[in-house]
Amino acid sequence: MIERDVCERVLAVAVSTGADYAELFCENTVDHAVNMIAGKVDSVKDGYIAGASVRVYKGLRSVMASTIDTTEQGLISCAKKAAEALGQGKAEISICLTQRIFGDIHPIKIVPSTVKNSDKIEVLRRACNAAKEYDGAIKQVKGTLLDVDHGIMIATSEGLYTTDRQIRTRLSMESVAEIGGETQTGTASPGRRMGMEMFDGLISPEETGREASRQAVTMAGAGYAPAGTMPVVIGNGFGGVIFHEACGHSLEATSVAYGCSQFCGKLGQQIANPKVTAVDDGTIPGAWGSINIDDEGTPARKNVLIEKGVLKSYMIDKFNSRRMGMEPTGNARRQSYGYTPTSRMTNTYIAAGDDKNEDIIASVEYGLYAKAMGGGSVNPTTGEFNFAVREGYMIRGGKVCEAVRGACLVGKGSDVIMNIDMVGPDLDMGQGMCGSSSGSIPANVGQPMIRVSSITVGGR
Amino acid sequence: MTFDKFKILVVAAAEKSGIDQYELYYSTAEGTSVSVFAHEVSEFSSEVSGGVCFRCIVNGKMGYASTQELSESQAESIVKRASENALSLDNEDMEFLGEGGKTYQNVSAPDYTLPTTDELIKAALHTEQAAYDADSAVIDGTSTTAASEISSIAIFNSKGLDLHYENKMSVIMTDVVTTDGTEMANDRSVKAGNFSKIDFAAVAKEATASAKAKLGADVAPTGAYPVVFAPKAMASFLRVFSKAFSSEEAQKGLSPLKGREGTVVAADSVTITDDPFYSESLMPIGFDAEGSPTYKKNVVEKGVLNTLLYNLKTAAAAGKETTGNASKAGYDAPVEIRPFTMYIAPGSISEEELLKKAGNGVYVDSLGGLHAGANTVSGDFSLQSSGFMIENGVKTKAVKSFTVAGNFYDMLKNITAISDKVELPGLGGMTAFGSPAVLVEGLTIAGK
Repeated sequence: MIERDVCERVLAVAVSTGADYAELFCENTVDHAVNMIAGKVDSVKDGYIAGASVRVYKGLRSVMASTIDTTEQGLISCAKKAAEALGQGKAEISICLTQRIFGDIHPIKIVPSTVKNSDKIEVLRRACNAAKEYDGAIKQVKGTLLDVDHGIMIATSEGLYTTDRQIRTRLSMESVAEIGGETQTGTASPGRRMGMEMFDGLISPEETGREASRQAVTMAGAGYAPAGTMPVVIGNGFGGVIFHEACGHSLEATSVAYGCSQFCGKLGQQIANPKVTAVDDGTIPGAWGSINIDDEGTPARKNVLIEKGVLKSYMIDKFNSRRMGMEPTGNARRQSYGYTPTSRMTNTYIAAGDDKNEDIIASVEYGLYAKAMGGGSVNPTTGEFNFAVREGYMIRGGKVCEAVRGACLVGKGSDVIMNIDMVGPDLDMGQGMCGSSSGSIPANVGQPMIRVSSITVGGR
Repeated sequence: MTFDKFKILVVAAAEKSGIDQYELYYSTAEGTSVSVFAHEVSEFSSEVSGGVCFRCIVNGKMGYASTQELSESQAESIVKRASENALSLDNEDMEFLGEGGKTYQNVSAPDYTLPTTDELIKAALHTEQAAYDADSAVIDGTSTTAASEISSIAIFNSKGLDLHYENKMSVIMTDVVTTDGTEMANDRSVKAGNFSKIDFAAVAKEATASAKAKLGADVAPTGAYPVVFAPKAMASFLRVFSKAFSSEEAQKGLSPLKGREGTVVAADSVTITDDPFYSESLMPIGFDAEGSPTYKKNVVEKGVLNTLLYNLKTAAAAGKETTGNASKAGYDAPVEIRPFTMYIAPGSISEEELLKKAGNGVYVDSLGGLHAGANTVSGDFSLQSSGFMIENGVKTKAVKSFTVAGNFYDMLKNITAISDKVELPGLGGMTAFGSPAVLVEGLTIAGK
């Protein structure tokens, strides 16, 4: 990482044309992934990412310059570029950095970047073998074991000088099943903000492989989902992608600060069903989307977004906090130094409710049970969202019946969160990579089982 | 450290380790981007990025390692890591590096000067103002970005390849938000090329008109209809399902087009072309990621699958020649297979005639959620859509929040008409997709 006195000199150049805030962000990331296909190690990705960015603000103007040259000379010239782009003026603030050490609530027992390829391959092989052996219908198995060791350093004109190291590990399995000429895929992709100790009891490679195959076989034997509007029960864990897409993105300052959200100006108002309490919590130990500090150096925290249906908080980064006149919430995130950070989710979930799962299923006369969800997307301006159902079943007469495939759910966020009218007790999380203007970042989605009283199911 | 200096260090490190088959792939980009909001510059960014990927054949296997830090220690590190990674592999693929001495189609960077920072700011503000002027329904929330970039690629290997490519582009993007007082609707428009020739007001007007047309949209009624896919909707299908034309996916059993070369895979009106030198391409390039010469080819010709796309490895496995489609998603990515500019060839009737032919149906203007709602292995899709109803052969009221579902491979066979104008929507970069409007019979619409 860059020495404190070098950072001071760089920031002094950054504020030399009158910026009222400046930040230097440096990164060193080791990015590693082993891919296995058909039981053979197919490729290894092994990258080293290193670079820096300088950002300056003046009022509601933000300038960023990034570079791969992290020598003092390179950083100074990067700062000069940012300062010049801001305009003409003279320094109005002076720079004095003091070091701050934030606590790390994610101790790592086995740092993956120090583990031999052969040990990683062994984990992957266990998962792939279990997936292949699950059923004779499994035609192909792909697996990836990836680990990221992301070191960041942040120095700001407010005097902050600090570092963080974010280590993540993830096993992603995909199985392809073929039954009667019908080919379908199943996936399972557990990840944690942990090292290789993730596989010592917490995540079983074999179960991960079998889960991907179970889903593939179930879907290959399924008929098409029907089309129409109906009640839908969404299973726990990754099912929380519904909140992430339908509501979460529209609560990010990236949209709210610019008036591009269906939830602008709604703080304190009832925007969701009283059954819904939703939280973004970057402080869950070992969780995929957790951070000690965000990419602007603000400590992560637990933000209650919606409490019993009432909008309590947005997710806000430093720059947009100026436009909104509200404080930052520890949600500023960026994939890498080349992206301008903005407000993003961390671990976002609908809190456990008091309905029983069996009552939720029993309440549906005719509808869909979306046991496992795939990815989705949203237009935060209009709130129109979509997401794919990975594993679905019909519900008839309050009972879960045959499996159905190929369904997706579409609707408008502000409608759907009003229609979540039953919430179960079994909160769980699923892992995803969330893409937005500041790049692709790890985010957890979560929820217990919920019922949406009415939503459009795209089938045929 | 410059790439040339780094290259010498890497070559020395490789030779010291007894590695005699190796390759360096280097890419750089220098970009500037200006965003305006509510008549003021809100964000400015200037980016210098780049990285080197080293790959080598050790024990018959190809190992990779990459770095963004061009230093003495990294020169040694990438050689060591790549050879260790090669030794971890146990696939049965035969590996190849491209041979030098090939002849390439000559392409040169566009001959205009890139806009200065001031010109970028002016263009963005001008475009934004034109959107506000175009219609009183336009509101704050509208955002506009002007950007320019110079990029380069170099490949150097132990078999005599020493290639270099430089490209530049400038682009204007606007996302216009409109309201009718009760709801908001937005749409975007993108135009790349020489700023002195772009009609910024036209870009703003186009986005404004299509955003405004979505206001008051109703949910489409559920049912089976003839569907017309707008060029940009059909191009986004092609983007997702182009994966099925990769011989690598086929050889791994992940494409239903495996073993189908020479057979009918689409209606006889359908020709799908891949052209690295397509006139609207933003990055025409004469060599692929392995240094093989690139060329134009029909992947599907009059409904028959003419060829899959190959690189050196998959071509050797299939006993064929590479089609020059080796591709890297980034400097640090492995060599895979992608088209350059892939498009459905135009038909002979206008879009108006196409709509007449549809009679009563749905015009799908845009598709959402393709990363999750479309399965390239099975071809099944169920996708969020918006567009217009077609009544008596003309586009009528706007519809949204409905899904269109079907199977891509069946759909290729059920294309009954193709319009005469290919559009290349959005920003393709090296991989771009285009299509005319197409008419497909019998897809399921789920709405209200």
